[in-house]
Amino acid sequence: MNQTGSVTPEEAARTHWDVIVIGAGMGGGLVGRRLAERGCSVLFVEKGPVGYPAETQGLSTDMDNPMARQMRGYWPTPIEVRLDGKENQFFAPLGSGIGGSSVFYAAALERPEKHDLETVSGLPHPTGGWPVGYDAFQPYFDQAADILSVRGEADPLSETPGLLHEPAPLSTAEKALFDDLRHLGLHPYQAHEAIRRLPGCTGCIGRKCPRNCKMDGRSAGVMPALATGRARLLSECSVLRLDQAEGRITQLSAQTASGLITLTAETFVLAAGALHSPRLLLASDCANSSGWVGRGLMFHLNELFALWPRRGQPVVGATRAIGFRDFYTQDGQRLGLIQSMGVSAEFGVIAAYLKTLLAGSRFKRLPGLDKLSLIIAAIASRLFGNATVFVGLMEDLAYFENRVTSHPDDPDMPVIEYTISEELKARRGLFRRRIRKALGWHRTLMLGFAPALNYGHPSGTLRFGKEPATSVLDAACKAHDLDNLYVADASFMPSSMGVNPSLTIAANALRVGDIIAQAQKTERKAG
Amino acid sequence: MEHKDHVAVITGASLGLGKAMAIALARRGVAVAGLARDAATLQDALADHPIHPVAADVSDPAAVADAFEEIRGHLGHPTILINNAALYPHRDILDETPESFMATVNVNLGGAFACCHAVLPAMVDRGAGRIINVATFADIRPAPLAAGYSVSKGAMRILTKALLADLGDRFPDIVINDWIPGALQTRMGLSDGIPPETAALWGTNLALMNDPALSGRVFERDREHIAPRSFKQKMKARILGQNTAPVRLDSA
Repeated sequence: MNQTGSVTPEEAARTHWDVIVIGAGMGGGLVGRRLAERGCSVLFVEKGPVGYPAETQGLSTDMDNPMARQMRGYWPTPIEVRLDGKENQFFAPLGSGIGGSSVFYAAALERPEKHDLETVSGLPHPTGGWPVGYDAFQPYFDQAADILSVRGEADPLSETPGLLHEPAPLSTAEKALFDDLRHLGLHPYQAHEAIRRLPGCTGCIGRKCPRNCKMDGRSAGVMPALATGRARLLSECSVLRLDQAEGRITQLSAQTASGLITLTAETFVLAAGALHSPRLLLASDCANSSGWVGRGLMFHLNELFALWPRRGQPVVGATRAIGFRDFYTQDGQRLGLIQSMGVSAEFGVIAAYLKTLLAGSRFKRLPGLDKLSLIIAAIASRLFGNATVFVGLMEDLAYFENRVTSHPDDPDMPVIEYTISEELKARRGLFRRRIRKALGWHRTLMLGFAPALNYGHPSGTLRFGKEPATSVLDAACKAHDLDNLYVADASFMPSSMGVNPSLTIAANALRVGDIIAQAQKTERKAG
Repeated sequence: MEHKDHVAVITGASLGLGKAMAIALARRGVAVAGLARDAATLQDALADHPIHPVAADVSDPAAVADAFEEIRGHLGHPTILINNAALYPHRDILDETPESFMATVNVNLGGAFACCHAVLPAMVDRGAGRIINVATFADIRPAPLAAGYSVSKGAMRILTKALLADLGDRFPDIVINDWIPGALQTRMGLSDGIPPETAALWGTNLALMNDPALSGRVFERDREHIAPRSFKQKMKARILGQNTAPVRLDSA
């Protein structure tokens, strides 16, 4: 990305902005773009660096030097996870730079279903329903899909197909796999992805795209926002706290390379991500009259499995093309969609997966475990060379006890306390049984032992709701307690849905942008 | 990228291997700039060839900056850098002074870094480029009378690794290698060594290879150098099917 649109800390501090957006990821990028396009002056305040346009690194969870991590756009610190009371520290797939985590994402922009947001017949919503229903969200799903150039095929099981561009043509082997799945009575469709497949596209799944072909918070948010001339970017700036007076945020304090600064704006939008936004509010001691700030933390449960081709069928290997929602809900239970992973099941992938898995398991103290996982991975890579890896994303539900706070010794480090509930285990069991039964026990291998939380999909930590006693934000994603603080990242979601969160984050960010722009227009008229 | 779209810079281009490589690359249609300290020798050496001569002492960072400014003006941004310039003073370590020692280091190591520093911004913008460090195995077993040379050339191989530690994951298409041309029939080498023209063909082949998978691999003479491996490593490579034939440089 070119430096046009960047400001120095001094320049940023001299201006009183219409809107300051904290965090320039998917949510921050799109809310900032919408606001700039609607005439507001916008300052993005981003902890990470601008980076280089031609960079192509993936999100490493091995590199441990915090500066080297930050330079590459990774969250610098590990996260500490207290899972069922057992403590563990590791690097999560979290970005920190322009575009946030989204520059590293797989660009899976799947649309949720009505039951994800509200009660439908036979399937009560765990929260009683989002304060904004599916029909109200619908136009924003369409706008987000348009802005992010989402392509794919309508889900044959869905009543709400939505707006999609023509997907990339399938290979012969992929077609055979589609036929194979249909033959099994499933309803596969070409998965929804925000990759434009421009000339020279290498499908930047899991890594930064050097040619603005993958649409993410950077290419579809921050860059077009800066191009309007009304938005500016202050990178390498860590927000430390928000100050409030008389029901409004008055200013924020932030650390830059050249020292501490304070920034002011009419409206503040928090979009630092569901693991960071609530921690900033906790540190600022604000917006928490409900006691829900940082709580209700959800992840998806990743259910990885390998599927071998039917005898005599061509080998597909790595493909991102396939999704199916046949087990989205089962027996009145919320499960989730299944999609092909887009990574070839080679040695490194499996070794890394096993390492994470074992590190979190009760075998973690066994000596020589690393070596064992390498050997298993070596054998598996030989076997899985012919298999396609799928992942089932299973919905997680919100509990008050599951939460994120900051490490007492390192305010940058998120501390996650999470208990795997009995109902989650039961739903996982059902999900696994249905997958294996439908695909055939002899052709599939479940790759997980213990439940695997998807630490790249945190949500719910500043839930929106109608009741100020049980939610942090109102239907507009404005803090119940404050007149000028909004949230535009995955924190707002009171339920995690059975699909990837990005499209919903983007859609909500556009919605929040419209609300703020409208409110400022009204205020200007009144003032 | 076609050969004619490349801009190559070779240091130490007035003599021996550097000169032979500059000529060989120019013959293959690449726009070539040749750097050397002495303007007159350089002019003489490259007079009959379509090579842009630039006189500069690579141990002087300001001179290197000026030289690359001139090259950019004449030929465009370099896409290939071959760090070839080296001093090889034969000196007993008891006669080596801190000044004489560092003079060698400043050419052999400092010069290589200064040239990398000059070409990297444009390579990073493009997300692609080619750097070859002409190295030796002198770091593994330093010869007598070669302290400055062995230490600086050894450090140059670490420079290659350091470049890759910082750039390899972010810019995989900036392809960086060590190339050890072997004992050559040059002023610096042996009278019965490899003719520099022969080695230059291998080196140009390597310079024109840009597969990111080659980055960080070491080449010796006309092929990839596979480091000696333990029995365990050999077995692991075998289980994983990672045993591959070394890449060769001797076919045009």
